[in-house]
Amino acid sequence: MSDPVAQLIFLIIKAIVMPVLIILIVAFAIFFERKFAGFFAGRVGPTYLGPWGSLQSFGDIFKLISKEDLIPAKSDKPVFKLAPYIAFVPVFLVMAVIPFGPVGGEANLFGYRFDYVIASFDAGLVLFLAMGAMAVYGVVLGGWSSNSNYSLLGGLRAGAQMISYELAMGFSAAGVMLMAGSMSLIDIVDGQAGNFWDWYWIPQIVGGLVFFVASIAELNRTPFDLAEAEQELVAGHLTEYSGMRWGMFYFAEYVNLVVVSMIVSTLYLGGWRAPLEVLDFIPGPIWLFLKICFLIFVYMWVRWTIIRYRYNQLMSIGWKVLLPLSIANLLVTAVVISAVN
Amino acid sequence: MNEGLDTSLTVVLAKLEKRFGGRLRKQTECCGDLTITVEPEDWMRVLSFCRSARELAFDQLDCLLGDHLPERTGAPFEVVVHLLSHTHGHRLRVTTPLAEGQDLPTITGLWPSAGFDEREAWEMYGIVFAGHPDLRRLLTTEDFEGFPMRKDFPLRGTVGGRIRTDLRGKI
Amino acid sequence: MSGTQDTQGLVPAAQALSRRPSLEELRERKDRTRRHLEPTGDVMTISMGPQHPSMHGVYRAVLDLDGEVILAVRPEIGNLHRGVEKLCEHRTYHQIIPLTDRLDYISGFAMNHGFCEAAEKLMGVEVPARGRYIRTMTHELCRISNHILWLGTSIMDLGTQTFFTICFRDREYVLDLFEMLTGARMTHSFARIGGVAKDLPDGFDHRCRKVIDFLPKRLAEYERIIKQNRIFLKRAKNVGIFTSEDCHAWRVTGPTLRAAGIARDLRKDEPYAAYPEVEFDVAVEYNADVYDRFLVRMKEMRESCKIIRQCLDKMPPGPFLAPDAAHSLPMKKNVLRDSAAMIQDFYQVFRGPQVPRGSVYRCVEAPKGEMGVYIRSEGGAKPARVRFSTPSFYHGQAVPALVEGEMVADMIAIFASVDVVLGDCDR
Repeated sequence: MSDPVAQLIFLIIKAIVMPVLIILIVAFAIFFERKFAGFFAGRVGPTYLGPWGSLQSFGDIFKLISKEDLIPAKSDKPVFKLAPYIAFVPVFLVMAVIPFGPVGGEANLFGYRFDYVIASFDAGLVLFLAMGAMAVYGVVLGGWSSNSNYSLLGGLRAGAQMISYELAMGFSAAGVMLMAGSMSLIDIVDGQAGNFWDWYWIPQIVGGLVFFVASIAELNRTPFDLAEAEQELVAGHLTEYSGMRWGMFYFAEYVNLVVVSMIVSTLYLGGWRAPLEVLDFIPGPIWLFLKICFLIFVYMWVRWTIIRYRYNQLMSIGWKVLLPLSIANLLVTAVVISAVN
Repeated sequence: MNEGLDTSLTVVLAKLEKRFGGRLRKQTECCGDLTITVEPEDWMRVLSFCRSARELAFDQLDCLLGDHLPERTGAPFEVVVHLLSHTHGHRLRVTTPLAEGQDLPTITGLWPSAGFDEREAWEMYGIVFAGHPDLRRLLTTEDFEGFPMRKDFPLRGTVGGRIRTDLRGKI
Repeated sequence: MSGTQDTQGLVPAAQALSRRPSLEELRERKDRTRRHLEPTGDVMTISMGPQHPSMHGVYRAVLDLDGEVILAVRPEIGNLHRGVEKLCEHRTYHQIIPLTDRLDYISGFAMNHGFCEAAEKLMGVEVPARGRYIRTMTHELCRISNHILWLGTSIMDLGTQTFFTICFRDREYVLDLFEMLTGARMTHSFARIGGVAKDLPDGFDHRCRKVIDFLPKRLAEYERIIKQNRIFLKRAKNVGIFTSEDCHAWRVTGPTLRAAGIARDLRKDEPYAAYPEVEFDVAVEYNADVYDRFLVRMKEMRESCKIIRQCLDKMPPGPFLAPDAAHSLPMKKNVLRDSAAMIQDFYQVFRGPQVPRGSVYRCVEAPKGEMGVYIRSEGGAKPARVRFSTPSFYHGQAVPALVEGEMVADMIAIFASVDVVLGDCDR
């Protein structure tokens, strides 16, 4: 078996296993979200399905699939049907460029080289930002095509929110890009070789925080869940969706949660690298998984503790606080790097 | 008959008597509450005086309600308002008898909180408040027929719990 | 008592210099915080409610929106109308009591109490001391349960659901007390004309003291969580300013009025039950915004704990129902032992109290605001006209004045802060 053939087989295996793994993580993320919500609120959360209710998400999926597919009579039907996919597909694409272990180097598996990334893409960071911007079209179009005022307001809010937060997110990620000297996520992880104090979260602490806050907005989670805003807009862009169409939005949201956690750990927390070099004997994917778990927990913690911002407050935070901070961070990073070089 | 009234209420009564004299139909006192009965024509004048006069200063309308007294054949309806003064801490009840179909001027200009009360009095008793900005049914459905709080309206209603499907889409 | 003098904003200069804004200042602040009322583009009309997560029941508000700014609100109520007033005309006074706690089902006893106070005033019934103390205590328990529920739901309306269940957990302690005392958790129908239905059960005193010792600690914790939350401060401060003159014009009473700087509390101003005999402070705040309404209610809960403790300390022995054979039911435990009590029971149940002609209006300080009851009697056992002027009815009416010019998200916060319950509103 020649090397290209082996690489092709590996690629197919990775392309199948990775989404399945992510979907499993998502299923348990949804379960843990509910358990954590219960824990924070002094309740027990789901308990019936499986041990400690851990199979709850699968029960939910079966329920959603078996529900009637309702489409409002006056909605724009093709767009209404398309919107969940527009929200769903881009977040999966980002997965392809995130390294979950060492890439390149010698043969490490049955005499062949196994790269722990699906596609070694040079502009992985840009792909992430682009796909994040694509996913919002699902929300906006879903809100618009439902022909409901609540949905429309939700879609508009999502659109405005994305525009203001993508910018801050891009500028803060550019700081990392300058430090690594590359837009490839593989190179970014390689740039963070060493112990945990060598990771980018120390030099990029401001950019990292801005990126984290912006990512909450990107994920549509409290305190920036204005597009859904249950208490104000019923369910925002999801008001008219039901059954599996709603399930796809919901699912995309959690896949996005996992993917964004992967991106945050890749950019600032060393990706798949162990926090101390002596711990390198533990494989990279496990470290990445642990970092994802930690970040998901933080996202959930924030969501279940904090009150929602008002729409105009959210916009002013985006434009008046996060954007200037991220630009300043980029400038300082650029100056320091050119001075050092 | 003024025994049992607070001093502040005696002042209120004296003031009202001085201003309106014989136009006040009667004053009654029950359980410490002072009730002034006025003619419907004087309704607006008396109430605006209550609102504006310094010694009265009734700045809050506590409630306005309709009432039906079928045995009083000439004027079977009654509108009752309860006024409250935060400045002086006294209360006053003003009532007016009304004949069937007789209008009463609205007092939403004096106290905006009368808006819902007047709508309720209209839908329950059929008392029309002239000049009310939005005199529609409030608590019952738009297609409700009759005035349910009148004494001759049966307790169980007139439509027997039937939902009026024939009016669907017209309201 | 003195607070009523502040009504017209005639606060002394020294006070105006402190943190208390004058009426003019509040008016100016209100104008500043309200956004435009003229449309800048197309107006979108949305119907918020009756099926909406944060309309606290079935309130419907038709909003005219310019973007996110509310230009006009048309409130629609009546989805929960049950014709209580009509039913009252066909019931004896004793039979009306269970109807009243379905008005504001969150604070049922306050409604019972209001009706009984009015009926007693009309009949001239004197409530014995023990009855008055039990009523005061139950009324305050009811206030605590109402305010805790309010706290949970209003914070939830701002976007966090965690607080909601935490508050519900603490409300359970109060509801357990109600269950022990009255046998029911929400609609207890506990007041009777001339007193209350039952005496305190064994062990109630101890359990009640435990709860009121424990609750203030919890409240302090909540207050700390909320007061240190910058997002809450941003969402609540200077939002929904409603000055005292607006409150009077729209008959908005209770905590909302007290948050506007007016120390009006019927428990002090027109005392009833055992309130003159217990010591408590009226919670007042001065900024008239959502945040101050929150502070007022938090303070009120602490004062309620104080009142309950004093009631338990001072609880006099003796009968809890008036020995008034013409108007009041006998004590249930006597009915099967004492022939006079049995005759009284039969008489009251089958014929009802014999009430003189006349009309009466009585207000009590329910947790949500002033709850007035008007009764006109033509003699006999049934009233000729009963009118409940309930706080939520007027608060629901005042919503346009409260929220026009604010944003949609603020409307939710403001609507939650005035505390409307639709059972109370629609009657």
